[in-house]
Amino acid sequence: MASRGGTARFADRNFPLLLVAPAILILLLVGVFPLAYLVVASFQGITMTDNDKSFQGLVNYIQLFHDPRLWTSLLHTVLFTAIALPLELLLGLALAQLFLDKMPGRSVFVGLLVLPVVVSPIVAGATWSLLLDNRFGPVNQILGWVFGREMPLLWTINPELVYPAIILAEVWQWTPFMFILLLAALASVDRSQMEAAAIDGAGYWRTFFRIVLPAIWPVMAVAVLIRGLDLFRIFDVVWALTQGGPGMRTETISIFTYIKGFQQFEISYTAAVAFLVILLLSGLVMAALRRVELSR
Amino acid sequence: MSRPALPWSRALRTLTLAGMASAVLAWSALAGAETAGDRAVEAAKKYAGKTITIVWEAGLQSLDPQKFSGPLWEKLTGVKVKVIEVPTAEMFTKIMQEYRAGTGAYDALNVIPAWMPDLVQAGALEQLDTYVDKFGFRDELQKIAPTYRDNQMKVNGKIYGFPDDGDVFVMYYRKDIFANAGLKKDFKAKFNYELAPPTTWKQFDEIGNFLTEKLKKEGVYGAAFFREAPYAMFMFEERFRNEGGRFFDANTMKATVNSPIGVKVLTEMRNENRFMPKGVEKFGFVDNLATFLKGESAMTISWPPYGRWAAGYLADEKALDWVPKSKIAGKVGYALPPGGHPELAAGFALSVASTSKQKEVAYLFIQWLNSEEISLQRTELPYSLRDPFRTSHYSAPSYLALWPDAKHYLATLKQASETGLLDLSLIQTDKYEEAIRQGIQRLWAGDDPKAILDEMASQWDAVTQKVGVDRQKAVYAGWAAKSGAYPK
Repeated sequence: MASRGGTARFADRNFPLLLVAPAILILLLVGVFPLAYLVVASFQGITMTDNDKSFQGLVNYIQLFHDPRLWTSLLHTVLFTAIALPLELLLGLALAQLFLDKMPGRSVFVGLLVLPVVVSPIVAGATWSLLLDNRFGPVNQILGWVFGREMPLLWTINPELVYPAIILAEVWQWTPFMFILLLAALASVDRSQMEAAAIDGAGYWRTFFRIVLPAIWPVMAVAVLIRGLDLFRIFDVVWALTQGGPGMRTETISIFTYIKGFQQFEISYTAAVAFLVILLLSGLVMAALRRVELSR
Repeated sequence: MSRPALPWSRALRTLTLAGMASAVLAWSALAGAETAGDRAVEAAKKYAGKTITIVWEAGLQSLDPQKFSGPLWEKLTGVKVKVIEVPTAEMFTKIMQEYRAGTGAYDALNVIPAWMPDLVQAGALEQLDTYVDKFGFRDELQKIAPTYRDNQMKVNGKIYGFPDDGDVFVMYYRKDIFANAGLKKDFKAKFNYELAPPTTWKQFDEIGNFLTEKLKKEGVYGAAFFREAPYAMFMFEERFRNEGGRFFDANTMKATVNSPIGVKVLTEMRNENRFMPKGVEKFGFVDNLATFLKGESAMTISWPPYGRWAAGYLADEKALDWVPKSKIAGKVGYALPPGGHPELAAGFALSVASTSKQKEVAYLFIQWLNSEEISLQRTELPYSLRDPFRTSHYSAPSYLALWPDAKHYLATLKQASETGLLDLSLIQTDKYEEAIRQGIQRLWAGDDPKAILDEMASQWDAVTQKVGVDRQKAVYAGWAAKSGAYPK
C-alpha cells in the first residue's frame, strides 16, 4: 500500500513535467540543436570544395583573431549602432512627447508615422536607394532647389555620404518603433505625480528626469535593447544601398558573415564567426538585463 | 546439303533475328534523327510526362525557356520544363546551396564558365562525356566557335558544360558623329590623326574628351560606360591584360596586379569619367543602355544585346517594353574595344546538376537547347540575351537578314570571339573577383589607385595562401595556357 501510494505521489508530482516535456523537447530541438550544430561545425574544416568534417581544433577561432576584415566589420556595426540608436531614441521620445496630448488628426498622424515599421527592411533599403539616386532621386532634386544648383551627390559611393545615407534610412524606418513604445509608456505615467510636482514648483526638465523618466525606464530599456540587437544585426538596408561598399567601408558583421558563408562557402569559419557574434550578443543582453533589473 | 533445322535452333534464330530487328529499328529511329537536336528529342520521348527543372538567369534571359524553348520541348517530347529564375549574382550561391542540401531540386543548370573549376571541384556538376557519346553530340560540339569550345566547356579535360552564350564586349559607336565632316576636320587639326573608332585607350581618351567638348551642349557625351563594380570588374580585367599586365607571377603565384600597368589602368578609368555623364560611377547595364539608345553618348562598350537593340531589332516586342526606343537605329557602328582583345565577360554554359534524379533527360534537354538548329533560333530571339556562339551563327542567313547592319555586327562578334580574353578562373574565383569589385568601388570613392591595387594584391595573396600556393599555381598554369588567357 505504501509503495502504491509512493508511486502515485511520484506520478502526481511529475505529471505537470510530463505535460510540458513535449514543448520543452521541441524548444530544445529548435533552439539548442542548431546552436550545437553550429558549434560542432566551427571546429571542422568545411569549405566550398572540401567537406572535411574531421576535428580541426581551434583553427577557425584562431583565424578570427587574425582576420582584420572581421574586426573592421564589427567596428562598422558598433558605429552604426552607436549613432543610430541614440538618434532613434531621442527622435522617438520627442515624437512621443509631441503626440502625447490630444490634437486634431492625432490618430491619422500616428498611423502614418508608424508605416515605415511595417515595411520590410530590404524594401525600405531599395526605396531609399531610389530616393537617393544621383540622377532621378528626389533627395538630390530637393537639395538642388534648396541650394539653387545641381546636386549630383553620389550617396552610395562618396565615402563621406554613405554613413549618413544608411543611418538616415535606418532612423527613418525604426524611429517609429521607439515612438510607439514610448508613447504607450508616457501615456501610462501617473498624472497625479506630475501634477503634484508642478504644484511643488518643479520645472519641465526636473519633472521629466525625476518622475517621467523613471516611470518609462523599463519600457525604454526594453526598446533600446530590442533596437540595439536589431542594429547589431543590420543587413538589409546596408545591402540594398551599398552592399558593404565602397570597398568594405560599410561592411557590417552580418554582411561579412553572409559573404563568407553564402558567397564563399567558408562554412566552418562562418560558424565560428556566428558563434562569436552569439557570445557577444548574449553577453550584452545579459549585462543589459542585469542593468535594468529585468532578469529576475 | 543442308540439314533440317532443329526446333530449338529455329526458336533461337527467330529470337536472334527479332533482337537484331529491334536493335536495327531502335538505331534507325535515332539514326533517322539526323541532327543532335532530333536525337535528343527522340531519346527524350520515353520520359514524356516527367518534369525537369532548370536554373536560369532571372529576367529577360529566362523568357527563352519560359516562352520559347520550354514549351517547344514539351510539345516535341512531352517533357515539361520548370524554370527557376535566379539573379546572376546569386546563381553560384543557389547552385552550391542546393548541391550541399542534395535534394535534387535542380536538374539542369546555367553556369558562368569561370565558376566551373569551383563547381566541379565541389562535385556540383555532372560529367557529360558519356552522354555526349551516347547521344552523338560530339561532332556538333566541335562546331561551337573555338574560343568558347576550347575554353568554356571542360575542366581537367572532361566536359562539364556546353558553352551556350557568346558573351563578349564590343564597342558601339555613332557612325553619324564619326562621319561628321566638321568634327573630323577639327579633330584632325587638333590631334593630327583621323577621327575614327579608337584602337588604343589613349585615342579613346582624346576622342572622348574631344566629342564631349564639341557635343555636350547638344546633350551628347563622348562616351559612357557601365561603371558599377560587377561590370567594371570585367573592363579592368580586359584593359589590364591589353596593356600587357599579368595577374600573377607564374613561378611564385604572387599577385602582380599592383604593377605600374594596373595603376595606369585604374588611373585612366577614373580620369575618363570626366568626359562621361555625371554620376556615371553608378551606371549599370540599363543606365548605360538607355544613355546610348537615346543618343546621349557617342561610344560605349557592352555585351552584344546592345547592338541588336540599338539597331531597333524587334523594338515592338512586348518583352522589351522596358528597353528605351532606339533613336539611333541605322547609325550604330561596331568595333573591337581599344586594345583589340575584348573581355569574353561572363557567358553561360549549360550543365547537369550532379544531384539531379533525372540526369539523362536533363542532359537531353541541354543537348537539344545547344544543338545547331535550336541554338540559332534561341540567339535570334530578341529577348533571350543569348549571343551567337556557334561558327554557323555568324553566317546564318536568317540572322544576317534581321537588320541591315547585321552582317557587320556578326562579323565584329566573330572577330571579338577570336581575339577575346577569358575571365580569370581559378579555385575560389569569386574571392579574387570580390577584391577587384571592392577595388573598383574604392576607385570611384576617390582612393589612391596604387593603394587600391596593393590591397587587392594582398587579398589575392591571402586567398592563394589559403587555397594552397602549389595547388592554385597548377590551376593558374592551366588557365594561363589557354588561348584566351592573355593577348598573344
